[in-house]
Amino acid sequence: MELTPSVLDIDWSEVETKIRRFIKDYVEQTGAKGIVLGLSGGLDSSTTAALSALAIGGDKVLGLLLPEQETYNTQDIKHAKLVAEKFGFKTEMIDITPALKVFYNTIPVFEKADKICKGNIKARTRMIYIYYYANRLNLLVCGSSDKSETMMGYFTKWGDVAADISPIMDLFKTQVRKLAQHIGIPKEIIKKPASPALWPGQLAEEELGIKYETLDLILYGLEHFMKPEEIAKQLGLKTELVEKIKHRWLYTEHKRRMLLTTKIEYRTVGTDFRLPRTLY
Amino acid sequence: MKERFKVALAQISCKRADKTENIRKIEDNVVKAREQDAELVIFPELSLTGYTLRDQIYELAETIPGPSTRLLEKLARKMETYIVFGMPELSEKTQATIYNAAVLIGPDGLIGKYRKMYLPTHSVFEEKRYFRPGYQTAVFETDLGKIGLIICYDIFFPEVSRLTRLKGAQLIVCISASPAVRRTFFETLTAARAIENTAFLAYVNLVGIEDGLQFWGGSRLIGPNGKVLVKAKYDEEDLVIGEVNYVDIRPVETFVPTLKDLRPELFDKLKENAEKL
Repeated sequence: MELTPSVLDIDWSEVETKIRRFIKDYVEQTGAKGIVLGLSGGLDSSTTAALSALAIGGDKVLGLLLPEQETYNTQDIKHAKLVAEKFGFKTEMIDITPALKVFYNTIPVFEKADKICKGNIKARTRMIYIYYYANRLNLLVCGSSDKSETMMGYFTKWGDVAADISPIMDLFKTQVRKLAQHIGIPKEIIKKPASPALWPGQLAEEELGIKYETLDLILYGLEHFMKPEEIAKQLGLKTELVEKIKHRWLYTEHKRRMLLTTKIEYRTVGTDFRLPRTLY
Repeated sequence: MKERFKVALAQISCKRADKTENIRKIEDNVVKAREQDAELVIFPELSLTGYTLRDQIYELAETIPGPSTRLLEKLARKMETYIVFGMPELSEKTQATIYNAAVLIGPDGLIGKYRKMYLPTHSVFEEKRYFRPGYQTAVFETDLGKIGLIICYDIFFPEVSRLTRLKGAQLIVCISASPAVRRTFFETLTAARAIENTAFLAYVNLVGIEDGLQFWGGSRLIGPNGKVLVKAKYDEEDLVIGEVNYVDIRPVETFVPTLKDLRPELFDKLKENAEKL
């Protein structure tokens, strides 16, 4: 297998159709009234929100803008509203700063210098807001995680990844960019550098230590059972770098699997309750 | 025996684990197919129950004959038609040994069944976890000629279709539950199996979404020369009618005489080498 960017090229019309059908079918099957999702103004959530609106109609999609003081970014908010306007879905904005402050002030071991732990509070607080809307209004939570960050474990466990469905999770970041272009997401959103915005100035590629164009090809190779040496050779990289990516992928599997217990009884939750996800 | 008849490819989606609803859908489609003079109506793999059943299969599997086949026998009698459908078959001698079966029913009742030989257990598939494989090919003599049954992944193994053809099948029916990523494989292999065996091949695939798996449909009737005679829509429910005319086999069999040129001695070598793989 030759690892060139073209391996990531698929028929974007077909992908769009498949994702739209998946969303529509799941909403109908579950009897939910629509979809709620967190809207950051970034590529992934903009694309997911737009696809949701295309699938079930914008009047049934609610994008929640959940900014907070430290990472407040007017451009991101402008972008989120731009997508909402273009694809005709509803938005609501809630400043989560007061809620975050309560956590910071009431957790006895809170350490403000630990930005990862603090950032995770932000992602999990957003999850609480989103799920409240879902419960209250009978909506499904639509996740926006892509395959690159999911495979890297580059997300907050029980935070941004928490969702009922994750329609773009089988697409790498560079593929999401192409799909976004295909469905008409504004260029400025596609081009801006990815950031989880858990602290000021946080940039995904800087933190991951690799460009998505390279990371996606490495992950594609690993997905296709290629050996790290072979991937490294083809991409002109050091084998150690590919090994490091592979290790991170395998090391973070616990973040992608739910409900681990130890086997005691006849059929165990998580490991051998093998049931369809929904009844129908 | 009829040389020429119409066959309906009933490409349905199933309501998972709801046999009553699926039987109702089968009835609807049989009625519609009969209105268009079809004498054989074919439904997808596990069309009685849906495909992605996982542990629920233990509650849904039935013997053949059993309650569901009896209901469909009544329908076939009433509509004077032949029906092929798929279901999880519970072995009569056990309580949890299940086969992935295709059932052929005719105007006079149950004709026979085929138990899937090749059970995919890779990628998203976990059939070997739930099913025991079949050990026999299945060809049945009917008023519509000799009909052979195979199921989905069997088509990747030319020997299943070959043996079915060598036992006399003029029409090979392949029922399927194939997710969209495999479309190209099936589009190629269905034509290949028809050509290499100089037989008609009716492929009927599931549609709908089960546990995130999107089934692609694209059911088709293929002539012995590999030509797609009729084709159903991709991804959506559809009912298409095509015509089988066994007379068409003769010119192909003379033009590309794959059966005449068959070399039995190679099969021993195949066996020998397959064991050493």
